[in-house]
Amino acid sequence: MNCEVAHERIVLAVWGELADEQVHELERHLAICPECGREREHVKALQTLASAHAVLEPDANLVARAHMRLDEALDALPAKSFVEQLLARLSGGFNGLKAAPLAAALLLVAGVCGGAAGGYQMAVHRIAHAAPTQPAALQMAALPQESNPAIKPIQSAATPEMDKVANISEIVEVPNSRMVEVRYNQMVPQQVRGSLDDPAIQRLVTLGSQRAASDGVRYNSVGLLAAECRAGRGCNAPGVRNALMMALRYGQDEQVREKALVGLEPLVAQDIQVRNAILETLMNDSDPRIRTISISILEPVEGDTSVREVLYTVSTQDENPQIRDVSRQVLNRLPEIQ
Amino acid sequence: MATDVAECPISAMQKPAPFVWHGRRVESSAGMAATRAMDETGGKLSAEERERQLMRAQEAELIRAAQAGSRTAFDALVRQYEHQVLRLALHLTGSEHEAEDIYQEAFLKAFRYLGNFRFECSFYTWIYRIVTNLCLDQMRRRKTRREDAAVIVDHSGDEIDVLAAVSDNRSFSNPARELERKALGERIAAALEKLTPREKMVFELKHYQGLRLRTIGEMLNTTEETAKNTLFRATKKLRAQLAELR
Repeated sequence: MNCEVAHERIVLAVWGELADEQVHELERHLAICPECGREREHVKALQTLASAHAVLEPDANLVARAHMRLDEALDALPAKSFVEQLLARLSGGFNGLKAAPLAAALLLVAGVCGGAAGGYQMAVHRIAHAAPTQPAALQMAALPQESNPAIKPIQSAATPEMDKVANISEIVEVPNSRMVEVRYNQMVPQQVRGSLDDPAIQRLVTLGSQRAASDGVRYNSVGLLAAECRAGRGCNAPGVRNALMMALRYGQDEQVREKALVGLEPLVAQDIQVRNAILETLMNDSDPRIRTISISILEPVEGDTSVREVLYTVSTQDENPQIRDVSRQVLNRLPEIQ
Repeated sequence: MATDVAECPISAMQKPAPFVWHGRRVESSAGMAATRAMDETGGKLSAEERERQLMRAQEAELIRAAQAGSRTAFDALVRQYEHQVLRLALHLTGSEHEAEDIYQEAFLKAFRYLGNFRFECSFYTWIYRIVTNLCLDQMRRRKTRREDAAVIVDHSGDEIDVLAAVSDNRSFSNPARELERKALGERIAAALEKLTPREKMVFELKHYQGLRLRTIGEMLNTTEETAKNTLFRATKKLRAQLAELR
């Protein structure tokens, strides 16, 4: 290795960018070349020197001010016109040209399906014209059996498309049964009725925790999910655990947070994410009652280092004397349990 | 300008998203599902790796939601990156006003062109590319009117001495050392100002922000080799500038 190459590698080595084998090679060169040794000292000195121009962390006021300004600017942005949206889509499509073969195949399949559906519709239309009494009979058969035609049991054909659900407006339990009525809004308000064992109903109830039209609905949704979870039925359904954790972390209403917390209890032993969410609640929740419940829920896993650490922090530093006492009691019992 | 926020180098695809921000965590069903799926398949990933994958999945979900028009999701993305963006802009420009402007412009651009983000690189690389481009433009403009970078102009127009604001446990008991340190910092800031904007940017991202040269190359739309050469040139110039201080 000549000195010119060595000088370049010294810079990379000082900033930790040199591959291991090259570091070894460089060390061998430095052992026999005092001039390059001095060069390395100089570069190291520069590195130390440069650190005197320290990086300042932006203060919280600056971050908040910048964020607020950005929010205002985003609010002031005009909604995209149809042409702009179209252009954006086209440009997106252009960028996605790599997927053109797949897109072509999908288009072909869509075309074939569309053609088949069109043919079927035409055939049905012709039959309708050929036998005018038949549609009435069909229509009668299609009428729902319920006395209230607006309330219909969920069937596979009537399952709402979740991404079109605007919000969940009401969840009503049918007493002494496992039936619930979930009212939700799409383009027009709709409602469905079905068992909590029905995945579609479960999804709607779960959605109620995030897109509820009112706090009451959110409370009902979280309450139902929590009850199902505690009964060992619903925790594994998609989104349930997540919905409860969201409600626990970000729920505005303390009753909702409490329900979510209690619902997550069966998961605390085996699920570290749930445990983390409960630890956050213990540290940060504004309601002392919820924090006290968190401590009792965490008891079975207090052997966990992070749980112990949080309990210790709370028992020594918390403003609330009751929380300090409870967490200290739990901590004191720990050796006996172990 | 649209192109510099729309494209990502393919080599960035393998780069893990460096989720080391202080942003709040946003739970997502996709993220949970990803973790659960991994658990179910008996994957023997470390807790740290699982956490990283979970965060990546959560971020991807946020990006998709923001692309679909969700302001809440975009806001969550902003909160994840705003601290780092401001830190970089503040150190590079030395002005709270300019850092705020860069922050504003960067996220507005991100909002406008988010539809072009194709997950070919991490969002982190993408947003940093926007910010570094804006900072480079700003530095090029400033080349004509050099300012003392050691002095920050705050929101109210008052000048704050950056170096005086640096916390140093040793300095309060030794004012002479504090003065020395301040003068030193000013010299370094002045030496950094004499680099070309690109050299200053590479040095900033490497030395002050601690990024890998490969990542820096991707952010600046160039190769790792070019980034290495630029760092070498910057080091050489800084040594010449600061020779008498050693």
